[in-house]
Amino acid sequence: MNIRLEHITKEFKAISIPRSKGDTGESRQKNVVAVKDLSLEIAEGELVCLLGPSGCGKSTTLSMVAGLERPTSGEIYFGDTPMTGIEAEGRDIGMVFQNYALYPHMTVRENIMFPLKMRRASRDERNERVEAMASMLQLKELLRRKPGQLSGGQQQRVAIARALVKQPQILLLDEPFSNLDARLRIELREDIRALQKRLGITTIFVTHDQEEAMSISDRILLLNAGVLQQYATPQEMYRHPANRFTAGFLGNPPINFLPCWYENGRVKVLDVPDWTLPSDLIQPSSQNIRGEALLGIRPEDLVVQAPGCCPARVAAMQPLGKEVYLKLEAGPYTLTACLSWDHDYQVGDLLPLSVKRLHLFPLEEAEGGGAGEA
Amino acid sequence: MDKLRRRFAKGATYVILFAGAAFILLPFVWMILTSLKPANEVLLMPPKWLPSRFQWENYVTAFQSAPFVRYFCNSVIVTVLITAGELLTTLLAAFAFAQIPFRGKQAVFLLLVATMMVPSDILIIPNFVTLANFGWIDTYKALALPWCASVFSIFLLRQQFASIPQDYYKAARMDGCRDLRYLFTILVPMSRPTIVSIALLKIINSWNAYLWPLIATNSNEMRTLPVGLAFFSTEAGVKYNTLMAFSLMIILPTLIVYLLTQKYIIQGVSKTGLKG
Amino acid sequence: MKPNCLIVWARNNGIKAWLYLLPALLVLGVFQIYPIIKSFLMGFYTQFDYLTDTVYEWGLGNFINLLHDADFALAIKNTCILVLCAAPLSILVSLLFAALLNTNIRFRRFFQSVYFLPFVTSMVAVSVVWAWMLNKDFGLVNAILKVFGISKVAWLTNPKMTMPILVVLAVWKGLGYRVIIFLAGLQGIDARYYAAARLDGAGSLRRFWYITIPMLKPTLVFLSITTVIDVFKTFDEVNVMYANDPGPLKSGLTIVFYIFTKFYRHWEFASAAAAAFVLFLIIFLVTLIQFALTRRRED
Repeated sequence: MNIRLEHITKEFKAISIPRSKGDTGESRQKNVVAVKDLSLEIAEGELVCLLGPSGCGKSTTLSMVAGLERPTSGEIYFGDTPMTGIEAEGRDIGMVFQNYALYPHMTVRENIMFPLKMRRASRDERNERVEAMASMLQLKELLRRKPGQLSGGQQQRVAIARALVKQPQILLLDEPFSNLDARLRIELREDIRALQKRLGITTIFVTHDQEEAMSISDRILLLNAGVLQQYATPQEMYRHPANRFTAGFLGNPPINFLPCWYENGRVKVLDVPDWTLPSDLIQPSSQNIRGEALLGIRPEDLVVQAPGCCPARVAAMQPLGKEVYLKLEAGPYTLTACLSWDHDYQVGDLLPLSVKRLHLFPLEEAEGGGAGEA
Repeated sequence: MDKLRRRFAKGATYVILFAGAAFILLPFVWMILTSLKPANEVLLMPPKWLPSRFQWENYVTAFQSAPFVRYFCNSVIVTVLITAGELLTTLLAAFAFAQIPFRGKQAVFLLLVATMMVPSDILIIPNFVTLANFGWIDTYKALALPWCASVFSIFLLRQQFASIPQDYYKAARMDGCRDLRYLFTILVPMSRPTIVSIALLKIINSWNAYLWPLIATNSNEMRTLPVGLAFFSTEAGVKYNTLMAFSLMIILPTLIVYLLTQKYIIQGVSKTGLKG
Repeated sequence: MKPNCLIVWARNNGIKAWLYLLPALLVLGVFQIYPIIKSFLMGFYTQFDYLTDTVYEWGLGNFINLLHDADFALAIKNTCILVLCAAPLSILVSLLFAALLNTNIRFRRFFQSVYFLPFVTSMVAVSVVWAWMLNKDFGLVNAILKVFGISKVAWLTNPKMTMPILVVLAVWKGLGYRVIIFLAGLQGIDARYYAAARLDGAGSLRRFWYITIPMLKPTLVFLSITTVIDVFKTFDEVNVMYANDPGPLKSGLTIVFYIFTKFYRHWEFASAAAAAFVLFLIIFLVTLIQFALTRRRED
């Protein structure tokens, strides 16, 4: 089942705030726009991550797909069927919640069986499907326990089993790993990825963790303040960020931003006379920019190379084992570089640097183009 | 020195606590002992603590001397009606307040909370008039209906429902479980302790109610146990052993309920204080 | 209005929510909210027929009669004395027991269970037993006093004894309930405050005064209000212990007893309603004053 969103907008009515003492009775009804004119298509069998900072509208979008919230305007299609007027239970969706929402008074078996019971499936069918789900997710030994007796990871697997037991067309996951510790997270997200590929189920996954999004998804949808920033494969999004927000949101440590002047095939960093970079390094996504602009350099794109086009002094270092993060000073700016730890760097060293890739962004970004901070 | 003082404090604490327990228990003990005494040992001075023989027949006498069975049945019927009625109205109303957004919710809720301030005793006169106009005086309806809803219980249960994360509602809705079904298959089992304590407190209160059953009944056939006992006590004269047996039989059901469900009752009462 | 607009309107206004509220609102409306208004209005009926609920004449007559009724003045006086004695005593005793139970004590569960017993027992049954124990010639209380060489006291027939008995009964009846609520409040106080105060050199009495009491304030306010209201409503024990009488020389005539007599014995509905309304006003005022007092201390 493919999913299509067309011009989806969601506004929430804010509580009316009395303006001031002057005007009586008048109150200002200010609506909060959670999602603004969002259009996208998710192909059958794809796993798409909704990514963005908290409050960016990703959970609202998921709720609208699920049918738990109505869009203020726009239409959602599953296949060719418009979903307006179809309630959550009619949409054939399985959903996993952040805190799992496992019913504490029911055993694992009863929890997994609950969706089937609501659909009035026959007893034989129920048992059969629960058994199948349990063996697929290694829950067989846990069926008689109550959720309170399970570990976080086990609860997570029960929640997935409950979402999948009715064999839905679509699977929605709302920050499913945020209550787990780091190691379990990595393990479980690999499991989910494998399961999703095996079942070929169209999946939407909400997270605020960029690493999680990059590692698991076919495509990432990056939202900020309710506006679509970029919708692309993880690789495309990382290599060719569509705008400043995307460039800044993805990557750890984050990208370095420097104001620059771009003219006649050369990029000059402002206030650092030595730094002039050839324009052939500029990524294709940032064409059509002239004059004053913002230069983005990822920490791993800075390399120490003998002639070097841009020298910088080491201000601090943070070794991480196989690599080392350097705080570098160039003119008034501080940059982060991520280098392999094959050389003894000293604080105070002047390093000859060269750059592998450049990203250029216009200084003022138009909102429609998916600008960053709105 | 310090140790001595601490020991003294500890000892004093126990003395006070046991004295308090004795003060509380004395009437109960005396009730039990008197109820088992033969008539000639009841009015001894100085009194004999233990009866020379346990005269269980006193209970039979008490049982027969008044329409005890009738009173007992009335009490059971009224208590069951009130408790069931209150649970039903409370569950539905608390669900609406906790889960359904609607216009005027705040206003209605505040109005109800304001009525909690009004002592129930001042309502008896208009309620009597209302029920008299309905022609319901001296019926079970009159005994039960006015107490079939309680703002306090609604308030308590609403807090409990509101403490259950919204994700449960969403999860259940995805499976087509909503409204009444969600209330009864998910919310009620998840709120069991609160609901049980509300029910238990109601059972105890209805069983022991005196003023309203006294007013709302005319005939002997409709009296509940406390009303029946009050009338019996003026007739019994000096037959204190029978009277005590009668009293004990009224207390016994709530006592058993209390001893079996102490945890819930005490939890419920503790919660009422924290809300204040 | 188009039909689907109507559906949206119904949904937004929560027709469903009102359906859920309906049973509760029906019962509460008829038997709790309407009676408040009704009893206020009934106070002004001077000529009426309650069976047909028709009123021929309105007036202040009932309230004026109340003012001139010596019994009503006595009822108010008795009730106020009772409240002033029973409420503070009851709260103090309960606080003492709760504080003792909150220490590292054995049998805590046992004590708690015992103290709570009166709360679950019928006040009628309890009053019957107390009346028997207070019997002048054969009662247990006089027998115990005799051991200490104190001569017989006519508990139930001496008007001076009525108030002390009612006060003791109020304490006895409510001890467990208040102890449990105090205990809940006490257990809500973070033990680290006590540790800190200890390090600052505060002894146990000063810890109680400077930490427990202020931290317990919400509980104290709640209990003082509910206790006062409870005592204001004293009726069952008077009616049962004194066998449908307000005690010797009306020494146990409480406001609720007065209302009950007017209403149930004399069939004077309107005067009873007027008295009930006065009771409501008194309780309301006292509650307000309690709130105001506790608020001011906060500043």
